[in-house]
Amino acid sequence: MRHNNDLRRTIVEMVYRGRDGHIPSAFSILDIVQVLYERVLRVDPRSPNWPHRDYFILSKGHGCLALYVVLERLGFLSREDLDRFCRSGGILGEHPDCTQVPGVEASTGSLGHGFPFAVGIAYGLRLRQMPNRVIVLVGDGECHEGTIWEAAHVAANLRLGNLCVIVDWNGSAAQLLPQDDLPLKWNAFGWSTRVIDGHSQADIVAALQHVSFQGIGTPSVLLAKTIKGKGVPFLEGHGHWHHRIPDEREYQAIMEALA
Amino acid sequence: MSVTHELPRDVFIDCVHQAAQRDKNIYFLSADLGAKALDRFRAERNGQFIHAGICEQNMIDVAAGLALEGKIVYVYAMAPFVTLRCYEQIKVALASMALPVTIIGVGVGYSYDDAGPTHYATEDLSCMRALGGIEIVTPCDTQSVTITAHVTYTQPALRYVRLDRVFLPSVYLPNDTRFLADGMAEIEHGDQVCLITTGYMVHRALEVSKVLQGAGYRIGVVDLYRIKPIDVSVLRRVVERYECIVTLEEHFLSGGLGSAVLEACADAGISRSILRLGIPDQYRFENGGRDYLHRLVGLDVPSLTARIAEFLSRTE
Repeated sequence: MRHNNDLRRTIVEMVYRGRDGHIPSAFSILDIVQVLYERVLRVDPRSPNWPHRDYFILSKGHGCLALYVVLERLGFLSREDLDRFCRSGGILGEHPDCTQVPGVEASTGSLGHGFPFAVGIAYGLRLRQMPNRVIVLVGDGECHEGTIWEAAHVAANLRLGNLCVIVDWNGSAAQLLPQDDLPLKWNAFGWSTRVIDGHSQADIVAALQHVSFQGIGTPSVLLAKTIKGKGVPFLEGHGHWHHRIPDEREYQAIMEALA
Repeated sequence: MSVTHELPRDVFIDCVHQAAQRDKNIYFLSADLGAKALDRFRAERNGQFIHAGICEQNMIDVAAGLALEGKIVYVYAMAPFVTLRCYEQIKVALASMALPVTIIGVGVGYSYDDAGPTHYATEDLSCMRALGGIEIVTPCDTQSVTITAHVTYTQPALRYVRLDRVFLPSVYLPNDTRFLADGMAEIEHGDQVCLITTGYMVHRALEVSKVLQGAGYRIGVVDLYRIKPIDVSVLRRVVERYECIVTLEEHFLSGGLGSAVLEACADAGISRSILRLGIPDQYRFENGGRDYLHRLVGLDVPSLTARIAEFLSRTE
């Protein structure tokens, strides 16, 4: 995690140059995505479609800047790919695209789709008796969508023990439609539920060690308490920064905060 | 042309907000989306503003319930989400019960340019057009957005209002409402090629017509403001002077504006050569902005002028 501010600065540079993107959403999930790829997921940048890989689905696709910078660190993407974010000729857009971007398992961006995709993937793997693990990251605002709970219902009934959901519980959307009883809801849907600190590498790794990832079993959900905009105080929790592109002065201030 | 700096969505929502101040029967439901006008509405008319959460399908059914209670109801979200995601809800809850709900979709076509296909609305028109008893309009400037908002609360009906995401230059002068009664307006006059389009592409059509007029073609431009229903008698009156028709849309060709014009022409017995210009049958993930996407799919000015000129050479 020592390079974390480097990654945050890279994200801000990408948004500043590409004139698009969601900085606070990416900062909210960056620690989770980084620790997953560096310490948990079995993946091979030289062979993104390696049959024995673990699957990571970013259901809240608008947080994809965090995924892009981590994929670049691992070698799935090049620095040039990052530099061409949202630019003509580049493969990286405001939402992840599995048809062009190595390491992206499914195209997402419309909320409430990635998690059901993951249910299908996990079930398909189990049918083939494959041991691959499936981890899907959803937003807490995304939990407004009905399909999230439909998928939760189906996964519990299918006993998809090889599936783990991580909820980016930053509370942002709750400002508009509160849902503070998320652990209770996931429990009620038959999931093994654990609340963790989504900015603590140790907490994330320890929680995942409790997940069996057995083909048949209770699916697991980690409700990761996070801070939208984490790392830059004046971005943290501020709704108007959700899709805001910093001007030059703001860009300098953000970069200084991340120095 | 003068340029307004108000976004279409802010203009529309402010109009509804003002109406809601006078009429307590107006209710506005929004899925998660940031807009300055939404913030104003929510702060000032909290009881009449309902934040429906990021759950568009449920929002439609709740809107139906409010409408069944006699309310004038608006639902608001990004265009692809408030239409395709909610298709059965709109059919069952709104269309089949003929409820007076206004569906506001923001960001039609490639408005959300670098957001990718999840956020593009390039098939909304064909899907929504297939529903029974719905009116579909695409305002192309501030004046037509303002008039549209006014009509939605003075004559409530099931409508789908397609708004662009970006600032649009003026096409109509203040108090010009000719597009309303006829559902269309001839905004450039000619007698050779009738270029029929809607929304954002009205502005592209005006650019194209300027180039083609400079090359000696006699091209007119029609803003097809109301795509459903099309008044075939008006269409006949407008196009009868022209030798041929070209339709232009930032939408897939299957079932879109061009299809609607073809159907109306067939129904009205209008016999003209017709060229349909729109987005080829493929989702595009390329980045680089709306103009770049238009170049890729042939909706930029040079491509359009070349294709129209080639079409004319074949029809002569």
